[in-house]
Amino acid sequence: MNVLQISELSKNYGSIRALDQLNLTVEKGNIFGILGPNGSGKTTTLAILLGILSQDSGSYEWFGGNFGSKARLRLGALLETPNFYPYLDADDNLDIIAHIKKIDKPNHDEVLELVGLSHRRKSAFKTYSLGMKQRLAIAAAMVGEPEVLIFDEPTNGLDPQGIADIRTIIKEIAARDKTIIMASHILDEVEKVCSHVAIIKNGKMLAQGNVGSILNDDITIEVGADDIGNLVTFLSDISAINSMTREKGKLILSVNADFSAANLNQMAFQKGITLTHLVAKATSLESEFLEITK
Amino acid sequence: MLHLLTLEWKKVRKNSTFRVLFVLYLILLPSLFLVGKRLPDLPDEIPSADVFYMFPTVWEYLAYAGNWLVFFFLGFLAVLSVTVEYNNKTLRQNVITGLTRTEIFKAKLSYIIALSFVATAYYFIVAIVIGFFNTETIYWVKIWQEWEMIPRYFLMCLGYTSFALLLGLLIKRTGIALFLYLSYVMFIEVVLRWAVHRNLFDHKSMHFYPMNAIEDLTPFPLLKTAKNFGGNDMKFEILLSPSEAVGTVIVYTALFLFCSYGLLRRSSL
Repeated sequence: MNVLQISELSKNYGSIRALDQLNLTVEKGNIFGILGPNGSGKTTTLAILLGILSQDSGSYEWFGGNFGSKARLRLGALLETPNFYPYLDADDNLDIIAHIKKIDKPNHDEVLELVGLSHRRKSAFKTYSLGMKQRLAIAAAMVGEPEVLIFDEPTNGLDPQGIADIRTIIKEIAARDKTIIMASHILDEVEKVCSHVAIIKNGKMLAQGNVGSILNDDITIEVGADDIGNLVTFLSDISAINSMTREKGKLILSVNADFSAANLNQMAFQKGITLTHLVAKATSLESEFLEITK
Repeated sequence: MLHLLTLEWKKVRKNSTFRVLFVLYLILLPSLFLVGKRLPDLPDEIPSADVFYMFPTVWEYLAYAGNWLVFFFLGFLAVLSVTVEYNNKTLRQNVITGLTRTEIFKAKLSYIIALSFVATAYYFIVAIVIGFFNTETIYWVKIWQEWEMIPRYFLMCLGYTSFALLLGLLIKRTGIALFLYLSYVMFIEVVLRWAVHRNLFDHKSMHFYPMNAIEDLTPFPLLKTAKNFGGNDMKFEILLSPSEAVGTVIVYTALFLFCSYGLLRRSSL
């Protein structure tokens, strides 16, 4: 089931194009990372999905449109900064969340335990450190055990210990069969936490897919031969090839970084196969991402 | 609506500013009024300070005192109820959590209605108690002779708070919104009416400004007989009639609320 479907979403801020016909699909159970440098449109996208901003064109649909405008009640979200009533303590703040979501028996004990704030639950929010505020925001997102969680730069501004804590918490949440959508500008974070990723830059989608296929050290090689069937049999015996897809009479291979196009050509030659097409794609998406985040 | 009102209550019940302002209203309404007992000199038109406290005139005098307190304390509470949320970005969070913008408007509307209702109920209790202890012979008819002051008091509360709500939503910054609220009610409208409007058209239409109409819902009772009050050279009544004031305030209140709703629908949170 699709949890979220975004089609052709666009948004301008004056003359600046923040989102340019963005398409995206998140399926149930995905830990979906939206990766892009600051200002790439991650927060804008999430703000539109959460009803804070309205898009200029395009559309999005939560849960196949089954819950209409009430869909947000089934989400838990942390957008940019943690926003709470500073004079209220953690329990009272979570009460307000539970009240809005109309949850009869809130799971405050459990979510505060999850984020390690049980000992400070009776302190006013304004006395919290940034790390604690961020953890309370995650607890607030978990109130009522929503099916989908949205975290926007959850480790932004935290010290190394705080970052490690948040990542552990997110992994724990992921282990509970939740769908998580997480925006980040840190490649490492997405690689460690997410199952799927979309890379965006200047509001445009550069790539999306599962993390394994997009963010790894593999090299992409395109090959072609007159007898494709024979070529496929030959290639499937090579262990350095991690995946193979067929496209317009060519095969696109994802191979280990220590394997090269020259190796492949040599091996094919020895087998008596003449390659009619051989292209090594020098830039992987990872290096492209590093390029754009510089 | 009740669900949204409970939400507002959860937000403010532990807020110290809310508590202080509300308790001050509760304390000041009777105490400010009872200070009149110690006034040394009364104008000639008032034979004795007793009229302040007797049925049925206690309704009018207490409402006049309440007018000032409502303008100040309830108005502040209404401004703060939105500006504090803008400062803390909590309205934004409420929407993220699942409220619609229409629900936010309904929540704020139920909040000011509840505030006005409680303030009016308290006015009612204070008037009954003070009247009861200061009227020598009490008749049922005498107590209720001025019952119209009760709905007018409520409308006065609603008028001030809806105006304050609109300013809060419009300006979003606590300090500037409070300053503008105070200065509009106390100076800006007064200057507009007396210095500008009256110079252009010396006509009764100068009374149909929102804050003046709200004040005329519960005016200083003596102004009703103010024909010979301190050199009044006006060609028309100094006050709006009760029905004119009620009608005018209803129109303005509806307008303020309508604009508040429009602002909430459109503004970025």
